[in-house]
Amino acid sequence: MHNVQALPQTRPWTATVGRIPGVAYMMVVIVVLFSSLNRQFLDGANLINIGSQGSILLLLALPMTFVILTEGIDVSAGAVAAASSVALGCVMQAGGHTWLGIVAAIGVGTLFGLFNGTLIAWLRLPPFVVTLGTMGMAQGLALIFSNGQSITDIGTVIPALYGGKVLGIPAPLIFAIVAYALNHLLLYRSRFGIYARAIGGNPEALRFAGVSAKAWLISIYAFAGAMFGIGAILLTARMSTAHPTASLGMEFDAIAAVVVGGTSFEKGNGGLPGTLLGVLTIGMLRNGLNLVGVPSSVQVSCVGVLVLLALLIEGWKTK
Amino acid sequence: MNVHPNVPNLVALRSAVPFERSGVQPEDSSINIAAGGTLGKSAAQPPLLELRGIAKQFPGVRALDGVTFEVRAGEVHMLLGENGAGKSTLMKVMSGVYKADEGAFFHQGEQVRIDSPKDAQALGIAVIYQEFSLVPYLDIAQNIFIGREFAGRFPGTVDNARAHQEAKKVLGLLGFEQDTHTPVHKLGVAQQQMVEIAKALSQNARILVMDEPTAPLSERETENLFRVIRMLQAEGVAIVYISHRMSEVFALGDRITVLRDGRMVGATRPADATPADLVRMMVGRDVDLTYPRRFCETPGVPGLVLRNVSSPSGIRDVNIEVRAGEIVGLAGLVGSGRSEVARAAFGIDPVSSGEVEVFGKRRRGEPDQSVKLGMALIPESRKQEGLAVTRSVGDNLMLSGLAKMFPGGWFRPGVARNFGRKMVADLRIATPTLGRRTAFLSGGNQQKIVIGKWLATGARLFIFDEPTRGIDVGAKSEIFALIAKLVEEGAAVLLISSELPEIVHVCDRAYVMREGRVAGHLTREQLSEENLLSLGMHDA
Repeated sequence: MHNVQALPQTRPWTATVGRIPGVAYMMVVIVVLFSSLNRQFLDGANLINIGSQGSILLLLALPMTFVILTEGIDVSAGAVAAASSVALGCVMQAGGHTWLGIVAAIGVGTLFGLFNGTLIAWLRLPPFVVTLGTMGMAQGLALIFSNGQSITDIGTVIPALYGGKVLGIPAPLIFAIVAYALNHLLLYRSRFGIYARAIGGNPEALRFAGVSAKAWLISIYAFAGAMFGIGAILLTARMSTAHPTASLGMEFDAIAAVVVGGTSFEKGNGGLPGTLLGVLTIGMLRNGLNLVGVPSSVQVSCVGVLVLLALLIEGWKTK
Repeated sequence: MNVHPNVPNLVALRSAVPFERSGVQPEDSSINIAAGGTLGKSAAQPPLLELRGIAKQFPGVRALDGVTFEVRAGEVHMLLGENGAGKSTLMKVMSGVYKADEGAFFHQGEQVRIDSPKDAQALGIAVIYQEFSLVPYLDIAQNIFIGREFAGRFPGTVDNARAHQEAKKVLGLLGFEQDTHTPVHKLGVAQQQMVEIAKALSQNARILVMDEPTAPLSERETENLFRVIRMLQAEGVAIVYISHRMSEVFALGDRITVLRDGRMVGATRPADATPADLVRMMVGRDVDLTYPRRFCETPGVPGLVLRNVSSPSGIRDVNIEVRAGEIVGLAGLVGSGRSEVARAAFGIDPVSSGEVEVFGKRRRGEPDQSVKLGMALIPESRKQEGLAVTRSVGDNLMLSGLAKMFPGGWFRPGVARNFGRKMVADLRIATPTLGRRTAFLSGGNQQKIVIGKWLATGARLFIFDEPTRGIDVGAKSEIFALIAKLVEEGAAVLLISSELPEIVHVCDRAYVMREGRVAGHLTREQLSEENLLSLGMHDA
């Protein structure tokens, strides 16, 4: 009865982690290039710096991976983070408790995410258009509530979330590690992740299994919103300021990190290890460009080139 | 033993149910089934599932009208009908995807409700659709237990180890050796089908509905599927099997039900019916299975000549000639290079050596040059290569002839409308309006549109690649009548088909491909299924 031919066995760990994406080659090139251009690049202090700065991007890129696995996109990430940041700033400025501020930031993010998810799942509107609309709304609200000004009066507890250390490890690195671990658990060992992949890969499979794809899709966007809120807290902590425009455009880096990490926009193909590498690659690229004195406007172009390179490499590999 | 409610007690199943049909069935088996699947014994019991007077209305169509249907443990019940007869609607009603407007369901004699997929699942009904409901980037175990994951230690988490363990057991039952960590996008069609069946069995399915399961399978894979079906049958699983292939109906079926226009028009047993009887029931009239036509006595000028053509896609030294007024068959097994000949002739695949001539002119370059020479290709996969399925009937009809119809480059709605109406009338395309999306039409009508779009280019050489695939019996005759009309008007036709009777009865002569080469040529007098087969077989 063994007529159906078996494929060569794949080892379980590779099945989970996925094949090594083209991003690995790019990382090597970037490390070699910048360490030869600038000796500081591989200093311990600079590496920690790359990790700390990358933690904020990671908090946006992780949930973005889930969204993209559903064959969706969330371009409102940066604007929602701005609104969350302003919400945090307003609460702190008014003398509210730190926890209240944190809840406000995450709450605002979650609400925008719920709004996105509801329109996309229930009204079947295209994710790009819906989140583009949300992007405008969130941006506007951030400017209105902050009067277009930075809110500097946010106390000392919040800034410590970025500047502090636990057992000698910088706090943002701890945020990044915990966030990654939780997201990994969610994608690979929970219904949430299985259904995210199924929504992108074959929603009929869920329908026939009696699972409400709509409810899960909404929760995925809501989760993404909440994560953007957490990212906003860390960004606010880093700047010691709630700024209504500082995080605008961060969706570009987040989406770029996901794509560079090998997640495709089709059929729920991709994963979080790739996104982690994508975040590090973009972080190292920007850091290296800073060290050699390239202005940030040019850096954006470089990230764009990186995205296109990633797609080219994937194309070659599948050829 | 801590058994998940969704997983059958597989250990008990395995020990209680011998795989061989001849095995003795213990009376106290944990599964209540009739031994051996013989109708005589199980007839005393109520059927496993019975549908009475089922009706389902869609806007403008009565898809099901008072259908009564039953299936017993251990039998294979064949469900036949033309496309649009209501088979898939009936299947979806059984699986709870659609809710019946009228009628009642009985499970082992007791009235039950099937309002949702969950209801059907609870009754042990599982459906294997043609389009598999698998998620490509989840692994086999995750796919098998989707929607029914084993709970892990923390709320919301899943127990992967447990899933793989149980998945392995189910695959073992099917004799399907495959690492359960393999993502399903890496599997072939036959393997994916096995995963679907495993998914159904893991739901403790006692009623398995299969929709044309052999359509994508090779002969060997089909044999394996039949073996699995017979094994399940021996275990007392009831199987509803939808098919278009007569040979399967008689090889597998215990009973046959025929649907037409949403009504049940016949119920019989294979022993009491002939293929012709069943076809008559399906179409409601006598369709001549032999597609009569006047054969070509005096072929005209050469329309298509291939001289020593080889291509990187795998054909070697192919010599073929098709003259005006002829239908020339191109037979051979799947993978023998038939479609590659068509693609190389049309210019889709490059030609590495040899030459292609169309009505005396050398063909070079891309397909647009072929079209200019009067060549048309009706490809094998209608929906991917032949049509823009999201566009309307009218748009599709114009697709190939735009340059000819609108020489100035500007679209003229009046010209388009008149052309569309003429085509719909000439080809008898059944569509409510020209604006209808082609995705909503039946296979036969879609195929007529693909033919129609070439008529606008003034094509005189037609290559048909499996023109009747997935098309019901009635529409097949119409397609062949159309092809016959084309050659009577002086066109040359190359017809690729896997259906040997089509080649034998329709073609003036035929070439047979084997491993990328022309293995032989058969004249009208030599054409027979036996000759075609023996030329095409690898070990002939």
